[in-house]
Amino acid sequence: MTELVKMLCELPGASGCEDEVRNFIRKAIEPFADEIREDAIGNLMVFRKGEKALERPVVVCAHMDEAGLIVKNITDEGMLKFGFTGNVDIRTAIGKPVRFGGTCGIIGIKAVHLTTAEERKTMPKAKELYIDIGAQSKKEAGKKISLGDYGVFDSKAVEFGGGMIKAKALDGRTGCAALIKLLGETPAIDTWFCFTVQEEAGLRGAATMAYALDPGFALVLGGTAAFDLPEVKNGEAVCRAGKGIVIPFMDDSAIYDKELFGLLRMSCDNRGLPWQTNTRVLDKTDAGSILKTREGVRTCALSVPVRYMRSPSCVASVSDIELLPEAARAFLEELGGESE
Amino acid sequence: MDIAETVRKLCWIPGVSGFEHKAAELVAEMFKPYCDKAVTDKNGNVLAYKSCGLENAKTVLLDAHLDQIGLIVTEVLENGFLRFAPVGGVDPRMLPGNEVSVLADEPIYGVISCVPPKFLKESEKNKAVPIEELYIDTGLHDAKTRIPIGAPVSFRQNPAKLMGDVYVSKCLDDRAGVASILLAMEKLKDAKNLKCDVAVLVSVQEEVTGLGAQSGVYSIRPDYAIAVDVTHGRTPDGPSEGTFQLGSGAAIGMGPNFSRDLTKKLIRTAKAHDIPYEIEVMEGNTGTNAWTIQIVAWGVACALLSIPERYMHTPIEAVSTSDIEAVSELIYRFLIGFDGEAEK
Repeated sequence: MTELVKMLCELPGASGCEDEVRNFIRKAIEPFADEIREDAIGNLMVFRKGEKALERPVVVCAHMDEAGLIVKNITDEGMLKFGFTGNVDIRTAIGKPVRFGGTCGIIGIKAVHLTTAEERKTMPKAKELYIDIGAQSKKEAGKKISLGDYGVFDSKAVEFGGGMIKAKALDGRTGCAALIKLLGETPAIDTWFCFTVQEEAGLRGAATMAYALDPGFALVLGGTAAFDLPEVKNGEAVCRAGKGIVIPFMDDSAIYDKELFGLLRMSCDNRGLPWQTNTRVLDKTDAGSILKTREGVRTCALSVPVRYMRSPSCVASVSDIELLPEAARAFLEELGGESE
Repeated sequence: MDIAETVRKLCWIPGVSGFEHKAAELVAEMFKPYCDKAVTDKNGNVLAYKSCGLENAKTVLLDAHLDQIGLIVTEVLENGFLRFAPVGGVDPRMLPGNEVSVLADEPIYGVISCVPPKFLKESEKNKAVPIEELYIDTGLHDAKTRIPIGAPVSFRQNPAKLMGDVYVSKCLDDRAGVASILLAMEKLKDAKNLKCDVAVLVSVQEEVTGLGAQSGVYSIRPDYAIAVDVTHGRTPDGPSEGTFQLGSGAAIGMGPNFSRDLTKKLIRTAKAHDIPYEIEVMEGNTGTNAWTIQIVAWGVACALLSIPERYMHTPIEAVSTSDIEAVSELIYRFLIGFDGEAEK
């Protein structure tokens, strides 16, 4: 599972250009799928027959995309001006390497010696940032880069400390890894395992996926922001890395289905899977989009606590990541059991 | 010698200011094949010598600094978080989300924390996070027994090659300078008509106290010194005056810090051998070892050669390897043509 997460995280998949992630996943799940669909905007929907069927389909989903970069202009000096596809914490973008396919670049900032004291205390605006690919002119840069090219942070996945992992894109890809793992076994009930696009761009892929499948229940897998730093008071931390899977009751995008929230807690309790819930209301998931589809969809979520979300160096606990497929499997089992 | 490979080797060695001893051993080994001897001193300086064999030959010192900016652990907190202070000039704005190595007995991986924007108050959103409010996250349960206060911390960004010959790495300031001296010494290896003694000083603590240049030059007592460092490369967000395009060659310093005769000799050498160069005029403190070296003991006639570098003091410093080559070629051509009299 950890190796799979690391591989997935290192793939480039800026919102709007998830192709490499989708191709990787498609290859991995093809042997286990009973049906595979790709829709007009790039969602990958994979059906696997379970031990029994519910009246309406069940969806378990995660998003493939990550907050990335897109080239908007090339200056006469050969520097790239760019925008972020999705929410990137620009504090963590400065001084980081990026790549556009095989072309490497760095997000520069003038040397500290050339700054004023006031400048050092102020964050540069996203508009002021540029990417240096080593080109000397617009023409030279044009040989490697075109307007509209998508890029990502160049950040290796690293295991460190006492069972921690650092990577970019941990938020969505932990969910994708859990889905791939679950697809390798017969689920308790017929299930659509869905890999969505453009979550970071505004929960967009999930909308067409949910419309197409018209599910009775949906479970969203992914990461959620943890702020468990020193001197952050208990509840302010939202959730804590290494302290179990997060079962959210509400966030900025959704109030989760009360009964499913209860079912998730019970599923975890019955199997001794450690869980926590969020102690502050923030963050968004695909649930916000799914629950408003058609006449409405009963939706819940399972999330891995992720430190430094929206940075190239997200950090999560391996033990929490491994709980994601376990808790999702437990949910499908309980959902199957309840229908009897 | 492949320049990029030499630079990669040099930049890989950790040597935060004040903690250069291990780096000095490794760098001394790299100089040994091209020098009569290469040793380290108690401060962690590397001192290497190549004699021309002539009696009463003058000594030309080549200096580049060994140390790199970094961080130092000031407190070990619960759950593997560390507080830290900067060593040398560190821009707090480029710290969050960076990967580091905490150089305890065994190097320990860490990530510098950041506060996601949604946790910030409206008034904090445009402000840089001060260094006192950042942590290194080691993810360790036993950090308190494994990491001593006072452990140095280095960046661990991997190097990268950009278009053309632009090379990106941590601590190119001043390993690019060390590389250009190493290359010059390699070229000098089989030189027949050398008429001056050459000493190399790879000095410690340039970024903080200047201890290395002060103590090293005091031991060597050269007649002339050429300091090799980096200077600011031109970027869109920086000034265009006093900064240099990558690939524009060696920046030759002029001003009260430098001997006019020695500097002119270097310029004449560059012209004679078609070595690309620019003039960098500095009216006062040059912020380099040349400033220290000039007034050691009875004084040293100094010159400064600089390699243009973008994003100085970040983990993504960027230089053009052609500029390292230009500086090494200029040093080499100067030394084989130099008989100890700068004013001629």
